[in-house]
Amino acid sequence: MQQDHIRNFSIIAHIDHGKSTLADRLIEKTGTLQKREMAEQILDSMDLERERGITIKDQAVRAFYQASDGQQYMLNFIDTPGHVDFNYEVSRALAACEGALLVIDASQGIEAQTLANTYLALDNDLEIIPVINKIDLPSADPDKVKKEIEDVLGIDASEAVLCSAKTGEGVGDILEAIVQRVPAPQGDAAKPLKALVFDSKFDSYKGVLLYLRLYDGSVKKGMKIRMVSTGTEYEVTEVGIFKPNPENVEVLTAGEVGFLAASIKTVGEARVGDTVTDANRPCDEALPGYRKATPMVFCGLYPVENTDYDNLRDALEKLQLNDAALLFEPETSTALGFGFRCGFLGLLHMDVIKERLEREFKLDLITTAPNVVYQLHKTNGDIALVDNPSAFPDQTTIASVDEPFVRATIIVPKEYVGSVMELSQEKRGEYENMTYLDEDRVMIHYALPLSEIIFDYFDRLKSCSRGYASLDYELAGYRESDLVKVDILLNGDPVDALSAIVHRSNAQVQGRKLVERLRSLIPRQQFQIPVQAAIGNKVIAREDVAALRKDVLAKCYGGDISRKRKLLEKQKAGKKRMKQVGTVELPQEAFMAILSMDKK
Amino acid sequence: MKSQEMIQGVYVHTPFCLQKCLYCDFPSYAGCSADVRERYVRALCREIRQGRADGWYGALPVAPDATIYFGGGTPTVLTTDQLGRVVAALREAGWWNRPAEATVEANPGTVDASSLRALRELGFTRVSLGVQSLQDRELRAIGRIHTAAEAKEAVALAKAAGFERVSIDLMYGLPGQTLDSYGKTLEEAAALGLRHVSAYSLILEEGTPLERLVASGRVTLPDEDTVYAMYEATDRFWTARGLRRYEISNYAAPGQESRHNQVYWRYEPYAAFGAAACGFDGRRRRTNPAGVADYLAAVEAGLPAGAGPRTPGTPAVGAGNIPAGGAAAAAQGSPWWDEEDLDVATRLEEALFMGLRMVQGVSLEELGTRFGVDIRSLYKEEMANLIHRGMLYLDGDRMALTPYGMRYGNEAFEAFIRLWD
Repeated sequence: MQQDHIRNFSIIAHIDHGKSTLADRLIEKTGTLQKREMAEQILDSMDLERERGITIKDQAVRAFYQASDGQQYMLNFIDTPGHVDFNYEVSRALAACEGALLVIDASQGIEAQTLANTYLALDNDLEIIPVINKIDLPSADPDKVKKEIEDVLGIDASEAVLCSAKTGEGVGDILEAIVQRVPAPQGDAAKPLKALVFDSKFDSYKGVLLYLRLYDGSVKKGMKIRMVSTGTEYEVTEVGIFKPNPENVEVLTAGEVGFLAASIKTVGEARVGDTVTDANRPCDEALPGYRKATPMVFCGLYPVENTDYDNLRDALEKLQLNDAALLFEPETSTALGFGFRCGFLGLLHMDVIKERLEREFKLDLITTAPNVVYQLHKTNGDIALVDNPSAFPDQTTIASVDEPFVRATIIVPKEYVGSVMELSQEKRGEYENMTYLDEDRVMIHYALPLSEIIFDYFDRLKSCSRGYASLDYELAGYRESDLVKVDILLNGDPVDALSAIVHRSNAQVQGRKLVERLRSLIPRQQFQIPVQAAIGNKVIAREDVAALRKDVLAKCYGGDISRKRKLLEKQKAGKKRMKQVGTVELPQEAFMAILSMDKK
Repeated sequence: MKSQEMIQGVYVHTPFCLQKCLYCDFPSYAGCSADVRERYVRALCREIRQGRADGWYGALPVAPDATIYFGGGTPTVLTTDQLGRVVAALREAGWWNRPAEATVEANPGTVDASSLRALRELGFTRVSLGVQSLQDRELRAIGRIHTAAEAKEAVALAKAAGFERVSIDLMYGLPGQTLDSYGKTLEEAAALGLRHVSAYSLILEEGTPLERLVASGRVTLPDEDTVYAMYEATDRFWTARGLRRYEISNYAAPGQESRHNQVYWRYEPYAAFGAAACGFDGRRRRTNPAGVADYLAAVEAGLPAGAGPRTPGTPAVGAGNIPAGGAAAAAQGSPWWDEEDLDVATRLEEALFMGLRMVQGVSLEELGTRFGVDIRSLYKEEMANLIHRGMLYLDGDRMALTPYGMRYGNEAFEAFIRLWD
């Protein structure tokens, strides 16, 4: 197809503003799938995505649309994740497009990630088409949203499209707007192949599938390609497009979006952001590519059964094939044995990986509480990065500690400003500024320690604003903080996997809460168990788990055997899920206790 | 012939009570009409007569001294005539020969001098009275229908009726019970001159009225330290009076141990008749329908009870006021109707956790031969661990729990159960 009949665009939005539902309607309206083939949120193909109602991976679809000018257009659109953890997926998708549909909920208006995603789209010089969604809701107020678009985003809202992805109203207008307003790609099919890898996916039969946006040239089966950054070469075994299921095509040419397979064994060989070119006729320069996504949150993952260690490693390797942002390396804990220290983009990313390991690989895991990466300045002048509290050296060897800060954007109705500020102050935040979005809503900026964000900031922000506040943040460098390591001792023995890094001013309170929480989590055993929190040698809090006085079935006669047996099996299975640490049996939740201290 | 190749005991269930106790989750129903009870007795007799012929226990001979146990519910809710017909059926069908022991359970509120004499004449040799407590306040709190005075009288009447073996059940950890009041109950029980006592720690079973009362805070149970003190006191008290503990909750003068219950703990075959009754042929276990209506339907339809699964939800025969326990039982997760074919591993595990309930424990040699395994090597680690922790000991061929091990018996029982997932 002629390039001037191709439109490449993304859909960006704050979470829950109806992005995936709109994608469904576009697929349906263009006849890409028959109605009977549609499942809800068709592009969220992982079970986890459908269940949680979130999009985790980018998805690319090609559709054909007969526009009102009588011509047929090829639409390539990419559905993107809305959560801040997956911002890097969004930025990758945007680099492959010329336009973006900015979906905004007609009753909620602009939220923190609307803003963040708009900036990403502007950075990529995309034509932005504001789409005001959910106009069927009684609380919809499109005029107010239009004003916000102009005042806050600085985008002309006169041509914003009103729609309801739910009812289908306005979807036709969106398609027309795409055709009329998104610029056609400007590549040259005659030039040497130049294509951007904007995502990749591991397929156990075909090897790695590269998701491509072609800028110049064309690619077809049998062609020899080269990855520009590594110089490695492959022979193309398949090229295809997504409709949204993969479908082979003869050739992909400049301006188009699709995939290729070339018996590439690992995602590492063909990095996302790399440029693909013709090995026999290479292009003269690489595309800009992406900055590498850096994990910001770390935790230990340990198999409950030590014998599952190899299975866990295999599973992590498989997930990493599709997820370049996932880091892991082996680590050992005296309490938990052999496991891995894993790095994630954020808490949601961590949850998703953990759940996939448990669900898809049937692994029983213990997760330690997440933490950030600290920068230690030692007294001998060395600088060390520490991503594990138990690896924190002796306090006397540390001159100072820096921790990562973020710049947080919070959008909230004005009546909650007080409580949001109170919370942010408590979380060691530094107020930066505040602007009114309209007469009701306010945007506040704070510098906050990332560790507080991953601790419980978001949950508490939601609860102190009755769910109205939205949050987005970006990393904003390291700052010095007065941090100490709090150790937990069970029955006098330190449990490395329970150590936490906290601000000195909070250490006493946190230590106390932590031992209280642990006391309530640790099942009583045949002896009393002292639970202590300590900084260095100084015990700052202690609670005792009282001994269990007796535990025996009072009666068991002939008619009871099956039932009593099941009871014993159930008890035993419960204990099996616990981890023996020294003489104490610890339930898995104990290792996440620091995150649940205020829950009783 | 080896003891595990013969039926060593026969259990007969009566699923009726005058009133349901608040803590009880047993298959027993209050408020059934005389008509239902009569139909039940007829069905029971029919099941007993068919029992030898239906093939389920067929291959196993009945040991000549196989014990008899009439339990419930409350067997003495049935009339002497009705009980007599059940006994006659057992004798005719060859279940009741020269039993080493024939026990009938009784609620002190349902017996008098003549009924006890009649039971003795029917051939029962042992009475087990559900006394539970000798404090009226505590008896009321758990919904018992009798007073402490009636309980004491029942013991005396049973002895007078010619029962040499009279046992009582006691409970501790009852609502409102204190260490003092329990001590009084023990003293008063001792004054009755008993040679067998069962003393159970109250278990708050799911779905019982007592559980709801406790959950809602309307009833408070003694705290754990107090209940443990009662557990200790029980052992000290009866031991000092010559009643030895021979099982976790059972005390007896030498030679007075319940023969029938030891059949269970030794994991020997037993036959069982009546609603909810559960029999074991040494390899398989089957459980009759728990609801009276379901049981009647099965037997009256001419099926040997336990002949096969019925579909849950099948309309109960003769609705009226006949409890259909099946659905309720199914809802509670207990079997609607069940036959389990137990593999060797399961049987060994069960034989161990049942056997370790007894103070004398198990014979490794005997169990090893019975199941064709070497227990010492199969459970090497588990045994070493329990021994190291002072919970288990070996004495020649015998393996048994220490008193400390009994206190945490579940932990020891679980050690011998393998989880298959």
